[in-house]
Amino acid sequence: MKFIFRNKRIAGTLIVLPSNERSFVEEMKNFNFPEARSLKLKEVMGYNKRRLVEPGVCVSDLAIFGLKTLFEREMLKAEEIDALLLVTHTPDYLAPPTSNVIQGKLGLKHDTFCLDISQACAGFVIGLIEAFMLLEQESVRKVVLINADVLSRKVSPKDRNISPLIGDAAAITLVERDTSESVIHASIKMDGTRCEALMIPAGGMRLPCSPETSVLEDAGDNNLRAKDHLFMDGTAIFNFVQVEVPPLIEDLMAWAGISQNAIDYFVFHQPNRFMLQKLADKMQIPYAKMPSNVVENFGNSSGATIPVAIALNLANQVQNGDLQVCLAGFGGGLTWAAMLMRLGRLAFCEMIDYP
Amino acid sequence: MEEFLKKMAKILDVETVAATDDLKSFQTWDSLTVLSIIAMLDADYGVNFKAADFNQVNTIGELWALVKTKKNK
Repeated sequence: MKFIFRNKRIAGTLIVLPSNERSFVEEMKNFNFPEARSLKLKEVMGYNKRRLVEPGVCVSDLAIFGLKTLFEREMLKAEEIDALLLVTHTPDYLAPPTSNVIQGKLGLKHDTFCLDISQACAGFVIGLIEAFMLLEQESVRKVVLINADVLSRKVSPKDRNISPLIGDAAAITLVERDTSESVIHASIKMDGTRCEALMIPAGGMRLPCSPETSVLEDAGDNNLRAKDHLFMDGTAIFNFVQVEVPPLIEDLMAWAGISQNAIDYFVFHQPNRFMLQKLADKMQIPYAKMPSNVVENFGNSSGATIPVAIALNLANQVQNGDLQVCLAGFGGGLTWAAMLMRLGRLAFCEMIDYP
Repeated sequence: MEEFLKKMAKILDVETVAATDDLKSFQTWDSLTVLSIIAMLDADYGVNFKAADFNQVNTIGELWALVKTKKNK
């Protein structure tokens, strides 16, 4: 499905990272694999350090910390927020929406449209699409898009399949109208028939959490996880990305009339370095144009990784210049999405530690 | 086939491999190796493998035969 938006822009993005850092080498003793193989995994995937919340820290804690920082630094006024979108798979509660919790704790006005969106790896592009749609309304001038997850709390430390790549983060992105003429093209596709490739089986109404769902089981591959934990079929996800993402982007570029050479950076979701480099090879994109260093520095924080990649690699360029970028997110759902837009004149683009 | 054997030896982290070698007999046979093979087959041979495809092959020669079958489809 394709979308076109006019006169909208990203005004700034602030990344909140838990200060607690873990290293792969320390953690690999948890895995039931020979050390040499785990070191090989580190080398191939680009695992090194990641950021995890302390026990009990929730998405709203990271989001409120970030928003208060923006208020204190006068980068955003609380009363200016017309909509608060939160994209997460790890809400504070099943009900109420965590976006309402954040609104309440910050004392935002009643005229705030709060919405939780249950999406993950494609969540930045999906959140932007929603934000742009809201900005079509006369009453909406500024949208705060929060991509935040604390997936480390839903991952088995004894699952080498996924544990070493997951990190926690919140990205707070301010989206507003653009006075200069700008056109944004987006495309998104979904396939629910493959939803089980990336899922947390227990915890919803289908399979509520119970003592049974918390039992660690060997899935037959030396990895131990419970039904309460996030499961990822790594090879299925790898295949999905290699097969579905390149044609989506090629189609979008053709539709928008923008050639691959005209794109300064391909800022994609950051599953791991291996998958991104294979994607770059397939699409014949030079590695220098496709950042792949988020996982080795902070871990894969699902929907927050695109703004993290921007803040880590392009902060100076997007604050002082103007870039043509191709954003792409892909993962749970399954969902895959891409967006072509100009990114520049950002009022803020940085990373802060929590607490 | 020779080229394929060289690529397999590299992924399996050994000097050489033979078509008769059992995939699961290698010390380095794990999910990372499976993923590396899938990536190599996609990039170099343009064929798409699933992890489950490896259940129907035992030896490197059988894997090569499956690559050729998929390529001709």
